[in-house]
Amino acid sequence: MGRRPAGALAAPMPSPKRPQRAPALGTAAPGGPQEQRLAHLSETERKAYDAIWRKGDMGMWTADLKAEMGLAGNMPTKIINALKGKGLIKDVVNYRNRGRKMVMAAEFEPNNEISGGSWYVDGDLDVEFISVLRPLCRRAVENGPGGVATLESIASSIRDSRAFKVDCSVQQIGEIMGALVLDGEVLEVTSTGKGEFVGLPPGKKCYRCPREGGGGPKMGAFGSIPCGVCPRIAECTPDGVISPKNCVYYDKWLSSLEF
Amino acid sequence: MVGQQGLNLAVGIITSHFGDVVAKVCSCLLRRGSLSLQEIVRDIGLPPARVKNCLLVLVQHNCVQAYSVPRAVTQYMGLLDNILHRMRFPKFLGILAAEFDDPLCLALVEGLLQHGRLTFEQLVMRATSTKSERTMAIRDSLRGSLDQLIRAHYVERCPKPEPFISATSEDETSTARKRGSKLWTLEQKALAAAALLDAERFSGIGDINGDESNSNQLEEKAKGISASTNIGEKRKHEELEFDRETQAAINENEVLWRANFEKFIHCLKKKACVTSVRTRLSLDAAVVLEAMIESSNHKKAKENLVTSSLDEILEWVMKKPGGRLMTMQHVRTCLEELKCKSSTEDTKALYAIDLGEIVEECRSEEVGSLVLQRYGKDAYRMFRLLVKRCRPVETDNLAEITFVKKKEAPGILYKLWMDNYVHMEIAVAYPGEKRFLWKVNTSTLYEHILNDMYHAAANLSQRIAQNREQQQEIANQPANDIQSKEYDRLKNTRIILETSLLRLDDTLMLFHDF
Ligand code: SF4
Repeated sequence: MGRRPAGALAAPMPSPKRPQRAPALGTAAPGGPQEQRLAHLSETERKAYDAIWRKGDMGMWTADLKAEMGLAGNMPTKIINALKGKGLIKDVVNYRNRGRKMVMAAEFEPNNEISGGSWYVDGDLDVEFISVLRPLCRRAVENGPGGVATLESIASSIRDSRAFKVDCSVQQIGEIMGALVLDGEVLEVTSTGKGEFVGLPPGKKCYRCPREGGGGPKMGAFGSIPCGVCPRIAECTPDGVISPKNCVYYDKWLSSLEF
Repeated sequence: MVGQQGLNLAVGIITSHFGDVVAKVCSCLLRRGSLSLQEIVRDIGLPPARVKNCLLVLVQHNCVQAYSVPRAVTQYMGLLDNILHRMRFPKFLGILAAEFDDPLCLALVEGLLQHGRLTFEQLVMRATSTKSERTMAIRDSLRGSLDQLIRAHYVERCPKPEPFISATSEDETSTARKRGSKLWTLEQKALAAAALLDAERFSGIGDINGDESNSNQLEEKAKGISASTNIGEKRKHEELEFDRETQAAINENEVLWRANFEKFIHCLKKKACVTSVRTRLSLDAAVVLEAMIESSNHKKAKENLVTSSLDEILEWVMKKPGGRLMTMQHVRTCLEELKCKSSTEDTKALYAIDLGEIVEECRSEEVGSLVLQRYGKDAYRMFRLLVKRCRPVETDNLAEITFVKKKEAPGILYKLWMDNYVHMEIAVAYPGEKRFLWKVNTSTLYEHILNDMYHAAANLSQRIAQNREQQQEIANQPANDIQSKEYDRLKNTRIILETSLLRLDDTLMLFHDF
């Protein structure tokens, strides 16, 4: 039940379909076109369906259904299977609690609270999609005039690239840019309206790549010696069992550096 | 406050510079706080005369300060920072070499670093190997160079040898034995009491009464007197002349001089800031920052805030190799890139930059790189977000913003928490549902990392010492092919180790001294 056709990214032009999740409320309302199908439901099934439907795009935990209707034994499972068989409800995954069995009326798409938002598919982080989007965003910054780009210009350059079937919102691009900034791959700068920022209003938040082709963090002095990353530093003493004198981490490190 | 590992490193330095016995005395002082001679003797079980000699060595090298309090014998305290600065002497000399063309300046400071504190007379003796060389000419050049160093604050008069702290209550003295806040108050008091006022501290060797203005007044007085024919006044003039000669003799034979570590550290801080801007922002921004720093050099040395007028900055930018090509507009853009605060004073455009902010950025970069090395990219991103947010963030929320898989985030955060990189709080959302909130407490984290860095520096020093011994062993054996190969290998290893220690020490200063 992925929201994106499987294998979309494997195609030369990645085209994940990221449908809108607005529920078709009108069609689901009792008395609507569904009414005929609902007419064939038993009274308990009908009551259960109504309870689930009322939960809308938040879905309903099966334990709640059981409690609300005072059902016993395997009745809830039977009812749920019957409703599923008629195509009236579906299973959904709560990304916060994958073990919790949840159902939702078929017309709804899970709310962000349940699905985890646009970056999650079936409760899992959409790593593939993100890994395609990240370099595209970075490239959009590199190719911006003067190596500087605004959020809107990045979003429009992604849209123009037609890399995805469905548009990425400016907010989505903003979230990706936030991660790139944290990674040190791009820098967040404020426009001065002059120099490289010509044409951009002063004070506008922009992005640019680090100078000299740099990207990501530099190796610090402490992190580049064995003790900096040593898991045994707390036990290491000058004359102890673990000691710099007989340290294997040092030996390994030195032999990898020696010329 | 420096942790246990900092003390270990300091004791290691003293051992390698002055031997085990001096190190024993030093270690006792560093670990127990201020002590009297008798207390040290009791503590380490060495004859009083030997302990006294060790203390003299340590005082001579500015590693111990003596002071006295009412109704108590002289107290001695170890000066940890000064001990740690001993591994920075080559860096200090490097700064001087870059600033002064005069080889005498370098020789004078080298002498002071080697011997701790010396009088001018001793400095002259050191610079000239034979008596015949000790001519007036060489004395004058040395005097000139020393004055130059004092004016630039690289050399200072030594602090008072044993200040008396009268304001200390008995209660404080007794608690001084225990390590705690009161101890620092007492020691800080002692240091403050020992310190000379700037006017005296940096008054040149030619100055009389320790103050240039005084010396000018004297001169003026003398001129006025010579114009008069009054015999009484003439006598006064002679007295004055006599005073001047006596003072000059005292200045040369009795006043002790030493290198001013504070100034050297400040120079290293400026250098580190320029280097950081060069890699983080641009070459040109670094040139502008350097010009700002140099143009404001004559102003207060200790302060982090550097302020310069645009004209001064431009003047200094022109002096730089890459600066001549920079237009005023470009310099202005660089100043904006540096996030300088601008203001106007008497129609002059002033720019100010806080070096403290650059230092903070360097620290955060260093810690970030450590997190990346130790825990990987996802941890790095989460950690950086926590540093940026400065407030607690819930696990899932943190994972969402940083695009970390929800299943993996708790494990990574747990590891960071176990190693004291992040702080955890538990919030109960509703009965039975706990939420974990995470944040970074930079000050405790820095303290923890600093302690580990001191440990690492001590470990590196131990490896270097071990390497030196191995090299010595091989050198003492008859040479053959295998041994000469092994010797070369050890030599290369030592270069790697020593370079690593120099770089690590830069980071130590970043977290402790800057
Ligand atoms: S010397 Fe070796 S064991 Fe000790 S802290 Fe360093 S890397 Fe770890």
